[in-house]
Amino acid sequence: MNGIHDMGGMQGAGPIAPEHDEPVFHEQWEKNVFAMQIAASGQGLYSGAEFRHAIERMNWIHYLESSYYEHWLTAIETLLSEKGIISREELEAKVKQVKEHHEAIANFLPSNGSDQLASRLEKMVRQGGSTRRETGTAPRFKPGDKVVVRNIHPGGHTRLPRYIRGKRGAIEKVHGSFNLPDTNAHGRGKNPESVYTVRFDAREVWGEQAAVRDSIYLDLWESYLEPAS
Amino acid sequence: MDIDREIANMQGATALPRKNGELIFSEPWEGRVFAMAIALHDEGAFPWEEFRHRLMAEVNLADCKSDPAPDYYELWLAAFEQLLLKKGIMTREEFECRKAEFASGAREEVF
Amino acid sequence: MSTEHGHHPAPLSDVEARTRALESILLEKGLLTPDAVDKVIATYERDIGPLNGARVVARAWVDAAYKKRLLTDATPAIAELGFGGRQGEHMVVVENTPTIHNVIVCTLCSCYPWPVLGLPPVWYKSPPYRSRVVIEPRKVLQEFSLELDEAIEIRVWDSSAEIRYMVLPERPAGTEGMTEEELVTLVTRDSMIGVAQAKAPAARV
Repeated sequence: MNGIHDMGGMQGAGPIAPEHDEPVFHEQWEKNVFAMQIAASGQGLYSGAEFRHAIERMNWIHYLESSYYEHWLTAIETLLSEKGIISREELEAKVKQVKEHHEAIANFLPSNGSDQLASRLEKMVRQGGSTRRETGTAPRFKPGDKVVVRNIHPGGHTRLPRYIRGKRGAIEKVHGSFNLPDTNAHGRGKNPESVYTVRFDAREVWGEQAAVRDSIYLDLWESYLEPAS
Repeated sequence: MDIDREIANMQGATALPRKNGELIFSEPWEGRVFAMAIALHDEGAFPWEEFRHRLMAEVNLADCKSDPAPDYYELWLAAFEQLLLKKGIMTREEFECRKAEFASGAREEVF
Repeated sequence: MSTEHGHHPAPLSDVEARTRALESILLEKGLLTPDAVDKVIATYERDIGPLNGARVVARAWVDAAYKKRLLTDATPAIAELGFGGRQGEHMVVVENTPTIHNVIVCTLCSCYPWPVLGLPPVWYKSPPYRSRVVIEPRKVLQEFSLELDEAIEIRVWDSSAEIRYMVLPERPAGTEGMTEEELVTLVTRDSMIGVAQAKAPAARV
């Protein structure tokens, strides 16, 4: 979707302002959110594509004004509610309860003692969860091929940034096939396709203001591309 | 500060616990006592070798006992306490008194 | 400085009480400042103690055959050193040279090679970096105090799919006599994202 998250090339965001000696997590709750996301997606409650799309669907103002881990928290709430795992009412009631009785917060977390889940998740973090799939279909493009990015504007999830649509580039590398996020995020199947690293001249993308030697590389699914004539 | 390299690269039983190359603290207090020892060393209160020596002594002491092995930072905490007492930076009485205040909830803030 | 504020009703564990007591006494006696402890933790969490990626870089600097494997097929080469896992299942390492400088971004969200670099810093995930580095990389690098000659080719890698990128920074001059372990200490996280060069030996802190 042409959402607020798709910000490559936008201007006026201000200075980078890196924080010196930045801690990995700024607050305890961020660690809990991080762990919950690993636990939820690791157990297959939702896919990475669904998770990203839930963030993309955030209200623009909320997205820009909230911190990174609040994006994650919002996505977890959204997905668990949409999938009927926790209802909005249940969640709101619990939040109210926590706020009113914060001194008893330790009692809110039932002791579960599931060592199995913990070790499964640790294994998954260490081994990873690749979305690469064999298809048996030959890739359409090969390194060196000239391609043009399709001018598509899907309203749902995509990993095709707006700034590259319609631009001409060259195939740099052919990777294997990966689940297509555009369908996978919406329960319309995994539909794996070849993914390509495509090289674009910076001037092709930004015009004369870009440095003549600079380039931008993106990783794009096959259905995002057409052969250049 | 090369001392940081020395501390970060302690080996064997005194090696700092890591995951994925990065330091891990299971609880906030572990990070606090870790940093306190280093900060105080940086202020010149003691040479690092003296702390490391005490840490090793705590490791050995724990090995002799049949109780379940304490976590790394419990050893660090014990070594640090002993060092502060030995150096006269605090008295046993001061420490026990302050500890009781925190344990009972009579005191919450460290300053 | 205490990280707990206000109501703390649950009784402190013995180790927590001891730790707080120590910190309280040391602060009172002026032997510690409130920021000192936080600063030490931050330093150690950030770049004392090698990141996995720094080990990969140092190995590539000293071992030409390893470097070739790393640049050809990074995932198994990184796995040779025992690293891999979530968000690093498909790695590509890109090499900086005297004429080419690489920098990594995820304009759409925050994709980052966790197994080699840990979790990304806030600036990497925030709108200014995500929006600006693809369109004005030189200006962005200047904000990190990295000035690149106009003749250098900048390559920006936007991690838009499942491949995760890491930069192999140039080996600094004057490091010929250094061991692999010593070289690890020159490699910073920022140099592996591409917003900095590796540290010069004399600047090692």
